[in-house]
Amino acid sequence: MALLLILLVVATGFVNPNILRFKSLVEILNASLTLVLIALGEMFVIFTRGIDVSVGAATGLAAVILGTTLNLGWPVGLAILAALSTGVLAGAVNAFGVTFLRVPPIIMTLGTLGIYRGLMRIITGGSWIENLPQSIKDPNLWGFLGVPFFVWATFLVLAVTAWTTLRFRPARFFYAVGDNEQGAYVLGLPVRATQFVAYTLAGLFAALAAVVYTSQIGFVSMNAADGYELKAIAANVLGGVSLTGGAGTPLGAAVGALFMTAVHSMLIFLGVPGIWDNAFAGLILLLVVYADYRLRRALELQRRQARILGEGGGSGG
Amino acid sequence: MARFWKSWEFALLGLLVLEILVLGAVNSTFYDPENLFYSTLDFMHILFAALPLTLVIITAGIDISGVSVMGLASITLGLVWVAGVNVFVAAGAALLVGVLAGLLNGVFVAKTDVNPLVVTLGTLFMYAGLAQGLPSLLDLLGFKAYGSEGLAAYQYEGITGLPDSFIALTEGTVGIVPYPLILVLFFALALGLLLHRTRFGRYLYLIGVNPEAARYSGIPIVRTLVIAYVLSGFGAALAGVMLTSYMTSARADLGGDALLPIITAVVLGGADILGGSGTILGTLLAGLLLGFLRQGLLALGVTNDLIQVVIGGLLIAAMAAKQLLSRWGERRLNRRALSASQRG
Repeated sequence: MALLLILLVVATGFVNPNILRFKSLVEILNASLTLVLIALGEMFVIFTRGIDVSVGAATGLAAVILGTTLNLGWPVGLAILAALSTGVLAGAVNAFGVTFLRVPPIIMTLGTLGIYRGLMRIITGGSWIENLPQSIKDPNLWGFLGVPFFVWATFLVLAVTAWTTLRFRPARFFYAVGDNEQGAYVLGLPVRATQFVAYTLAGLFAALAAVVYTSQIGFVSMNAADGYELKAIAANVLGGVSLTGGAGTPLGAAVGALFMTAVHSMLIFLGVPGIWDNAFAGLILLLVVYADYRLRRALELQRRQARILGEGGGSGG
Repeated sequence: MARFWKSWEFALLGLLVLEILVLGAVNSTFYDPENLFYSTLDFMHILFAALPLTLVIITAGIDISGVSVMGLASITLGLVWVAGVNVFVAAGAALLVGVLAGLLNGVFVAKTDVNPLVVTLGTLFMYAGLAQGLPSLLDLLGFKAYGSEGLAAYQYEGITGLPDSFIALTEGTVGIVPYPLILVLFFALALGLLLHRTRFGRYLYLIGVNPEAARYSGIPIVRTLVIAYVLSGFGAALAGVMLTSYMTSARADLGGDALLPIITAVVLGGADILGGSGTILGTLLAGLLLGFLRQGLLALGVTNDLIQVVIGGLLIAAMAAKQLLSRWGERRLNRRALSASQRG
């Protein structure tokens, strides 16, 4: 998938070389951060064989809390803390429903999706949050080596997540619970606690995304991060995180999210009129997953052929 | 039949009756059958799309592109009618578009191992984009004849002025029952027979429960899956046509916010998103339950924002209660079996 992503960018470069400029590539990265963060949170839930369709709404709700508290005059640090707490709380509510009430994850999170979106409008009275203080927009202007601060920050989050899931023993519980819940239980792993943490992490990452989103956009609309839940799930699937649980890596999820955003950015560089944006984004997505399927099948066939030939040689000699 | 009293469908039916009783007690217009039937017009498109989606979800698949198919069918109907074709022939063309859209989904899902969510997310974008771009595409192809602004003008305004005979499709009634409600019931009956009384229906469950077993037992997996997705596309297009008649205008963005209500109806109806279970009756009852709830709360003057919160909360409460009862029932059965074995 990473290979196809690079291929896609290079192919666009043939039509419009501007995309290959450092600045353009950074721009694409910058635009993908919100989805990357949401997808990383969603990943933990999918690891446990669950699903969370409320992450977009949780992002929106955290953004509303961030915007509202800022406009009440709270200092930036405190407002961000409030937003992160909102995300953690939103995730914990999902976690409580799934692990203690035993509500199927899709229904629990469909329910909270409605609740969080409704709360957003009730808190704000349905109007956008504008005139945010400059202090929240500032981090968006910081940079190092020509790369924006948020790209570095997200990269750091990704690195920590990747290192943790690989090296931190309890992080392996997510895989174990998703791969075989009964087995994990018999082994004495804290199954319910693991699921609880997964949904709570999804909420926390959604809130991190909300901070980046609010800083980048500069206002909070009522359909902030609308539909991101589906994009985040698709990003995970594209990145090799299995919806049936127990498999995948943070890097894969991040590349999947980058890909989902890059498709839209590419159309701008190709000069496709805005009205056709959706049609082409869909078409490219389908073409790429099809190419990926053919590629995987060809490799699989080759591997099998090699094995059969290898075995034939072994028995002959 | 005895099992029906313990089924989830029966619980949904009970909730539906309870809901109408409660809503009626607060606002007596809910006891007026004519009013009750008439209010289904506001959410029939959700039922048209959710019923066949049940078949897809039973196979452990999903089709989220339906909401785009609604808009695509609607704008197709409008454009074909503008071109001077009889409006009912245009509706036929719209349904055909739905079938083709479903065919593409089905073939892609059945022939590759790409996750259905990813496939239909791709087609969700693609069909929505096609619906948006279709008017200006026809302009580019030289169909400028209709008005100086070209067909692109329809992109934002929608196509209005559809004939009364077409509007009557959702305005007409048999006695006090509106046509669309009758059509929904017939559609549900046909799908119910297909799912619960034919070999095709059994195949759907088998594919959902165990795709490997399905493959080794030699059932026609590709054909079965394609038919399921085609039916889903057809249902969405039918929803688009009905909505066009009800709204009296053909628009590319029709039904755009129906995705979550549609999926909610199917999963509340008892279908497992991981495949293998679900019934048409369950989806029908859950769809009516959710639809009446929304209409009822609106009639009581509850704001749209609060309704989202209330429906979300009730959805969770209903499911938590279901889980609690089934665990409680299991424990009771276990205890009974234990005491029986001790006696014996």
